[in-house]
Amino acid sequence: MLRWKYSRPLLAIFIPMLFAAPLLGNNPLSHPGLQQTMAVAFLYGALALTYDLLFGFTGLLSFGHALFFASGMYLAVLFINHDVLVWWLAVIAAVAITTILAILIGSASLRTGGITFAMVTLAFAEAGHVVISRNFGGLTNGENGIALNADKVPSIFIGVFNTKNLFWISLGTLVIVYFITWWVTESSAGRVFAALRDNETRIAVLGLKPARFKLLSFVIAASMASFIGVVMLMVSGSAAPRFASSDVTIALLLMVILGGAITRWGAVIGGIIYSVASTRLQDISQSSALHSVPKIISGPLSEPTFILGLLFIFVVMFAPGGLSGAYYRLRIKVISKK
Amino acid sequence: MDTFLLIGITGIGLGALYFLVAAGLSLIYGLMGVLNFAHGSFLTVGAFVGLWFSSQVMHVSNTWTFIGAMVLGGLAAGLFALLVERIVISRLYERHIDQALVTVGIALVVGAVLAGWFGSDLRLLPTPSWFINTVSIGSAHIPVDRFLYIGVALILLLANTILLRFSRIGLVIRAGVENRQMVAALGINVRLAFSTVFFIGGFAAGVGGVLVSAYSNGVSPLIAGSYLIYGFIVVVIGGMGSVPGSFLAAMIIGIIKQYANYYSPGLGDFVVVFLLAGVLLLRPQGLLGKVKA
Repeated sequence: MLRWKYSRPLLAIFIPMLFAAPLLGNNPLSHPGLQQTMAVAFLYGALALTYDLLFGFTGLLSFGHALFFASGMYLAVLFINHDVLVWWLAVIAAVAITTILAILIGSASLRTGGITFAMVTLAFAEAGHVVISRNFGGLTNGENGIALNADKVPSIFIGVFNTKNLFWISLGTLVIVYFITWWVTESSAGRVFAALRDNETRIAVLGLKPARFKLLSFVIAASMASFIGVVMLMVSGSAAPRFASSDVTIALLLMVILGGAITRWGAVIGGIIYSVASTRLQDISQSSALHSVPKIISGPLSEPTFILGLLFIFVVMFAPGGLSGAYYRLRIKVISKK
Repeated sequence: MDTFLLIGITGIGLGALYFLVAAGLSLIYGLMGVLNFAHGSFLTVGAFVGLWFSSQVMHVSNTWTFIGAMVLGGLAAGLFALLVERIVISRLYERHIDQALVTVGIALVVGAVLAGWFGSDLRLLPTPSWFINTVSIGSAHIPVDRFLYIGVALILLLANTILLRFSRIGLVIRAGVENRQMVAALGINVRLAFSTVFFIGGFAAGVGGVLVSAYSNGVSPLIAGSYLIYGFIVVVIGGMGSVPGSFLAAMIIGIIKQYANYYSPGLGDFVVVFLLAGVLLLRPQGLLGKVKA
């Protein structure tokens, strides 16, 4: 059941414009530098959306989402580089294996709920991170990560000239993930997810099994995350342990909270803004304007997480709903004034 | 045999460090339901204050300096934890998820501030000269600092137990872990117990921070990372809200991790997560945890 609201025609114009931007003469998006930045930002937007399905729509505070993102990425790069599978089969296999992994981890950790669930998923993800970063089994090349072997993927994904292809693939991934999440959250299972978030006991009393629906949400989010991980592998050209670290999940949490949980577009915008901002804030921190300020102030300001962390605390404490919440409050104000 | 003993005692020493982190986490969770991601920053604050005291104030690195560093680090971290509870967490009363989120924010900000001031490099913490000595048990030569970690953990466990068993505030805390609404309904100030628990937890984490930096030869804003995650694992395995449970779980995890890592580096973390999964499947409330009615 997809509903078409008045904001959607606007989106139908905006998205094709984004798709066409690299081809239309001289605009910011016709330069490979920004195309690359935006490709990464779109992927984080999509990843934030999958996390929103888990945290915002189903109410599961997972700290292990990065594990599935990294698992898709690493499985794909291993299959491709070692000639196990052709690239497109490797993508499917990576997503399929991660889905099985998610079923296993999900069924173990969903025996707990609420805050304990957060701790347990964190522990699983950390184990995954350790396996990757310590080069356990000699496959992952430790802290250095694995570069994707450029000869084994189609040449349209390689090189600066082809950055626009990566831009399109990332944007396409975001659109697909958006539609899948839309479809899932508006489906009857999606209603159960939302009901679980609001009142789990009531769902159990109605005769539905809460555990099964939670697992479903967990697995859908995880397999989408693994696909995004594979695309990120193409965009960044290598798999690195930092993608598996719990910092990624915490960043996702920030994106979803800052953009606004429970709304789809809020999470996407939050992810895109966060991703662009953390690159931009790093540039600002190296700017000369900060040199005249004493180190006691300029030091923390040069760390992107300082500003983002403060903003995050502010939003959680004083502005629940984040960006999209503020937008809806404003709209209600405007409507009620009429 | 001597390697066996050396690894075992090192494991207990490591377990002692985990316990110092987990004790506070467990009490805070048991009483208030707060998953405290900022606990790692309490540890780091303690470590930096300890470093400041022993390198900027004392200039000599003897036993008393180190004890002073531990006490000051603990006090500073305890006060910081108290401030966090009063200023931030108390405003989000009964909003458990938001409380966890806001502590994530605090951890980010504290990490950024410390990294901005001191950089991410490891700074050497001066330790007394006897730290590099070894004690011979049979044919095993055990570094003497391992016994210090175990000793401090035991003292804190004992102090915690005495406080919880024999003082009025301890009684309130224990009752609050069991049933907070009832305690509040009896007209007892539970808020005071919250602050106490945060102070105790922060103190233990701060002392742990100084010991962790002695163990890993230095202080950096990043030292807390793995200890916080192990703290969480210890709390889940030991049982939420149970300090003796945390002690038991910390020891088991420390020992198992060391033996597994000796067998194959990196295996330890893996085994610990399997242990966690096993405990969750067979005994979801943890080793000494009680099932909440």
